[in-house]
Amino acid sequence: MPLQMNDIPILEYVKVSAILMGLPIDEARALRVAEHLQRTAAMARLLEQAALEVSDEPAEIYRLPRPPASARDEDR
Amino acid sequence: MSPQPLATPAIPAAADSLDAGALAQAIAGGHLSAREALDASMACIEQTDQRVNAFTARTWARAAAEADAVDARRARGEVLPPLAGVPYAIKNLFDVEGEVTLAGSKVNRAHPPASVDAFLVQRMQAAGAVLVGALNMDEFAYGFTTENTHYGPCRNPHDLDRTAGGSSGGSGAAVAAGQVPITLGSDTNGSIRVPASLCGVWGLKPTFGRLSRRGSYPFVHSIDHLGPFADSIEGLALAYDALQGTDPLDPACHADRVEPTVGDLDRGVDGLRIGVLGGYFHDHATAPAREAAKAAAVVLGAVDVVEWPDPALARAAAFIISAAEGGSLHLQELRAQADDFEPLSVDRFIAGALQPADWYLKAQRFRRLYRDRVQALFQQWDLLLAPATPVSAPLIGTEWLDINGQRQPCRPSLGLLTQPISFAGNPVVTAPTWPAGTGGMPLGVQVIAMPWREDLALRAARVLQQAGMAFLKPADL
Repeated sequence: MPLQMNDIPILEYVKVSAILMGLPIDEARALRVAEHLQRTAAMARLLEQAALEVSDEPAEIYRLPRPPASARDEDR
Repeated sequence: MSPQPLATPAIPAAADSLDAGALAQAIAGGHLSAREALDASMACIEQTDQRVNAFTARTWARAAAEADAVDARRARGEVLPPLAGVPYAIKNLFDVEGEVTLAGSKVNRAHPPASVDAFLVQRMQAAGAVLVGALNMDEFAYGFTTENTHYGPCRNPHDLDRTAGGSSGGSGAAVAAGQVPITLGSDTNGSIRVPASLCGVWGLKPTFGRLSRRGSYPFVHSIDHLGPFADSIEGLALAYDALQGTDPLDPACHADRVEPTVGDLDRGVDGLRIGVLGGYFHDHATAPAREAAKAAAVVLGAVDVVEWPDPALARAAAFIISAAEGGSLHLQELRAQADDFEPLSVDRFIAGALQPADWYLKAQRFRRLYRDRVQALFQQWDLLLAPATPVSAPLIGTEWLDINGQRQPCRPSLGLLTQPISFAGNPVVTAPTWPAGTGGMPLGVQVIAMPWREDLALRAARVLQQAGMAFLKPADL
């Protein structure tokens, strides 16, 4: 969906955060990126419906391997 | 349990008329040499790939050496491994020794060639398979159509004006075109299942963490899966069994054992609790897609309609995580050479790099809850069915789809039905079916199992194949 006048805050967000992230983008690209980000913002609003509790942790990205039994013994 | 013998081919048989399992049997039985099988594969690639554009590299010197090694082992009377002499190809995000891992990009051309094969390429080599080349894909796997500006679009072998799907489009198209019987691909949000559906071939997205990703170019670390495509369910199971292995060097590989499936393929589905996904999966499927899932349900004796928990939220979360991790992964190149990126995805990568942290963290926190809800569903069900794509293959360049009266952007919408499933991590076989109303094009069905039970999905898929409702059709090239 093309950006409208009331979407200017998203465009401004793109321009400012692109500077912060060191991403050189011209006006045309900033507009296109803002359109994508607007679509993602709609997804993020949808996700607000998820009833998350403070105790709900992120999904695991990695698992810590267990040390071998001998190593645990040495630590003691 | 000993492996079940696969169908014995006619003797002697032409290599290009045999599926992967039969080809392996013919070579093991001495009815065909690995070199003859390779020659047939290379001839087919030569004849068809100018039109299909599935291949981005051909590794024929290596293939000849691998095929000759198989023939030498047979001549010495050795027992051959299960895929000995079977030609295969890989999505060009797998490392191949001596080749640059392009991942569909232009920017990676400056990278040095890989010094060792990816783990799964090593597994295929150990199984005796013969690597003939690397395959076209969406740049950095961010897409569902393989409309790759740098290497040209991959075309659907059943209609060259239509997309092969993506991001593993070359992997689906190469099997559909009969160029190779087995390929490897990756699937983050549907990138094996979408091309399998649109090209009419078998595809398997295993359980998240089942297969090692070491030596493959990542897209989204926290969701990426790797898996095989094949021209038959036997070939898919043979490839999957060959690919399995524990890998302590890959932090994302959680497999602690190899669980072969080929020996169990013929166990059928008696006693399995099978349902059909409704709700979201019905609403986002066109009539042919619904018909495909319904027909599979009839064959498998599934009558109950099942609601998958929170599919729309899962898709939103997967969308956010993919954009954020993809954008972060490529941030340095986006800063320095954004103009060298694929025009169809570069702005999405940049948008992903600019997402607020809150969106990403909420998505990952939701994922844990979602996983638990989905796995609770599998306390009641062994297998669930759903269409793999909302539509059959769109024309290349299509911008918008009409899905039940809703105007949807074409490229992301091809993953509407796959994205919620991979976000949960469950294994899925995509079965190639040919419903009415698609103009003769295929449209796949997802057979979804509980985590670590790929065997159940493969068994059900075998039933679909035996019933004559899931199969490959030769492409008229």
